[in-house]
Amino acid sequence: MAAVKDSGFEALEKLKSTEPPVFLAPSSISEVARAASQYLFTKLKPHNPKSPFDELLVDGFDAEQIWQQIDMQSQPLLSTLRHEVKRFAKNPKEIRKIGALAVEASHEGDVDEMEMDDDNDVEDDDDDELDESEGEEEEEDEEEEEEEEEESEEENEGIEDKFFKIKDLEDFLEEGEAQEYGTTDFKNKKGLSKGKNQNLSDDDDYDEEDEEDEDEEDEEDEEFGAFAGDDNEDADKLGKARYEDFFGGKKKETKKTMRDVIEDEEAGDGNQGNEKLSTHEKELLKVQSKIEQMEKANLDPKHWTMQGEVTATKRPKNSALEVDLDFEHNARPPPVITEEVTASLEDMIKSRIIEARFDDVQRAPNLPTKSKREAKELDDSKSKKGLAEVYEEEYVQKSNPAFAPATFSDELKKEASMLFKKLCLKLDALSHFHFTPKPVIEEMSIQTNVPAIAMEEVAPVAVSDAAMLAPEEIFSGTGKIKDESELTQEERKRRRAKKKRKFKAESANHPVKKARDTNSEIPSTVAGNE
Amino acid sequence: MLRRNVRLRKEYLYRKNLEGNEREIYEKKRKIREALQEGKPIPTELRNEEAKLRQEIDLEDQNTAVPRSHIDDEYANATEKEPKILLTTSRDPSAPLTRFVKELNIVFPNASKLNRGSQVISEIIETARSHDFTDVIFVSENRGKPDGLIISHLPFGPTAYFQLLNVVTRHEIQTKKEMGKMSEQYPHLIFERFTTQACIFMGKRVMNILKHIFPVPKLDAKRIVTFSNESDYISFRNHVYDKGEGGPKSIELKEIGPRFELRLYQVKLGTLEQDEAEVEWVLRPYMNTAKKRKFLGE
Repeated sequence: MAAVKDSGFEALEKLKSTEPPVFLAPSSISEVARAASQYLFTKLKPHNPKSPFDELLVDGFDAEQIWQQIDMQSQPLLSTLRHEVKRFAKNPKEIRKIGALAVEASHEGDVDEMEMDDDNDVEDDDDDELDESEGEEEEEDEEEEEEEEEESEEENEGIEDKFFKIKDLEDFLEEGEAQEYGTTDFKNKKGLSKGKNQNLSDDDDYDEEDEEDEDEEDEEDEEFGAFAGDDNEDADKLGKARYEDFFGGKKKETKKTMRDVIEDEEAGDGNQGNEKLSTHEKELLKVQSKIEQMEKANLDPKHWTMQGEVTATKRPKNSALEVDLDFEHNARPPPVITEEVTASLEDMIKSRIIEARFDDVQRAPNLPTKSKREAKELDDSKSKKGLAEVYEEEYVQKSNPAFAPATFSDELKKEASMLFKKLCLKLDALSHFHFTPKPVIEEMSIQTNVPAIAMEEVAPVAVSDAAMLAPEEIFSGTGKIKDESELTQEERKRRRAKKKRKFKAESANHPVKKARDTNSEIPSTVAGNE
Repeated sequence: MLRRNVRLRKEYLYRKNLEGNEREIYEKKRKIREALQEGKPIPTELRNEEAKLRQEIDLEDQNTAVPRSHIDDEYANATEKEPKILLTTSRDPSAPLTRFVKELNIVFPNASKLNRGSQVISEIIETARSHDFTDVIFVSENRGKPDGLIISHLPFGPTAYFQLLNVVTRHEIQTKKEMGKMSEQYPHLIFERFTTQACIFMGKRVMNILKHIFPVPKLDAKRIVTFSNESDYISFRNHVYDKGEGGPKSIELKEIGPRFELRLYQVKLGTLEQDEAEVEWVLRPYMNTAKKRKFLGE
């Protein structure tokens, strides 16, 4: 026992001497810390008769549980301490008395503790695997402790197990709050704060070493460790801030109720986290993480390929070479002329040549400009008409072409000419009847200077008198015609001279005939007389 | 000139209108003719019009018997005259392009080459019209490679725009001495797989346009010009053949002249300088179903 005591004391000394950074890294300092905290615990035990623990159980326990044990012991201790301090503040003389008492008590406590510690020397594994392999006394002690705990926490049997006790958790949480928000107890805790520091450092180490199955437990531990750490750092500052400042009066219960509700919920979640996640919960987690990822990606600036028009300066060097550009082309690619293609073409050409099947330009047949000559077929058979009838028809045709009976070919010709006339009419209408007149065909024909009456018998009816003779042929001369009575003497003489000259010229050509036909008298002489 | 064009356009539209009716009448006449030939009774629906139609049938001759369509009206009288072609380039032609145009000059019979200089297209076409050319062919290039061919039929005919691909000129293959002279005979023509004939399908139309660049050949001509259509890409080949020694079935083909692929991308219903002319057909390569559509026939 003494050895243990000494070792504990040594541990404590050692802890005091170590540098703060050592506490942060996992090292053997955790064992030392545990031993030290055990030692302190046993030291404080006699002052706290109500405490359920005889000794601080550290082996196999995690930081939280150790902390809870300490808490359970120290809570009633704090109240008693407060009382004592007040008493001493009023009556300073009693301090001396108590000092003596304390020494005695500690001695007694030490003896007791030694006995107890011997019993509890063997390690106590809390793992599910190792059960009741230790000594009987230990078991009894454990059972006692467990019974005590179980009695108090019968309600929470389903959730709790050897690892987790809700009451411990609550105590732990409460203490953490008290530290953070500042209570009147805080100042009194200073004595304990050192121990707590070491415990907390122990916790920190323990946290790092001990890897929990569930993530949430770790998070909680770390959180509280962090909180505790912060509180330790700001202990002096927060010490001045009191609960009363924030919440007006020490109403632990109300605070507890408020906080506890939230804590319970968290505990409940923590519970679930500890046990297992339902599939829905797992999927939810996955989806949420995905969503977070996507949201993050959306917030980041886009990759250069997604940025629309990008010049060379806006993208990293040679990045266009690495991008896999693959577009679907809708147009068919142009044909590659291989030898096979040429060979097939040539085969086709050869076959066409052999067949002489070319797609040459065909000359369109010209429309006939001249109509076919009517080939008159000579009829060998005896004509039905008599010769007299033939002559009759000819005569009728000559004299009266209108009355002649039409032949078959004439009918066709008539029909054709009718059609052509209709067509011509339409065409003329198209050009608004502005057509060129028929070309003048100059024909030579003898016009006899015969009075109309004489001609009427012989000439055909249709020919009019106007076509017989031209007016110049009828009358040649100017319009100034003078009657004989109007002539002057000189003009008479002139006319007579003209007449004589003409006569002489004619008589030179033609010998004078004795008898003259009055019918063929030249009318020009009549005109000349005037 | 303007009034004349207006009148011609009206005629065109009128004839287009009549086409439907004419087609019906042609069909009826054909039925009657068949019935008469086979000695079968005339179908009942035609009995009323039978007399009149029969008369018309009797009066019909070779020209009127065929139903006319408004398409290819431009080429209705093209066969009466020999085609006369004017070849030009885009401005500032490179040396390879001028060589290519020289070759084309030989390939198309009755063609003449014109240096472009700084002439405007409308000027060129006016002079061509006044000099009685039937077609004008423009060749354009891209960095030495000929890449565009525009064939414009002249009085007021259609203009076909082609893209040239895979051009192999005679100069590229061999030197002048090795090639020897190229035959300038009026060639026989072969058109392969130009089947489609309808509003958006251009097979027969393109065939007509390309056909009427060439004159009517003699029957025993040894030169052959081939236009072969393979999924809307037209291959142009120029061969000279000889009956081989092996008999009538063996033929030796010798390729002469340039070889290129044509890809039609536009047909306009006016001449080249008429920018506002109606577009008869235009290629749409960016449609989603562009791969599946074949316009020149298969």
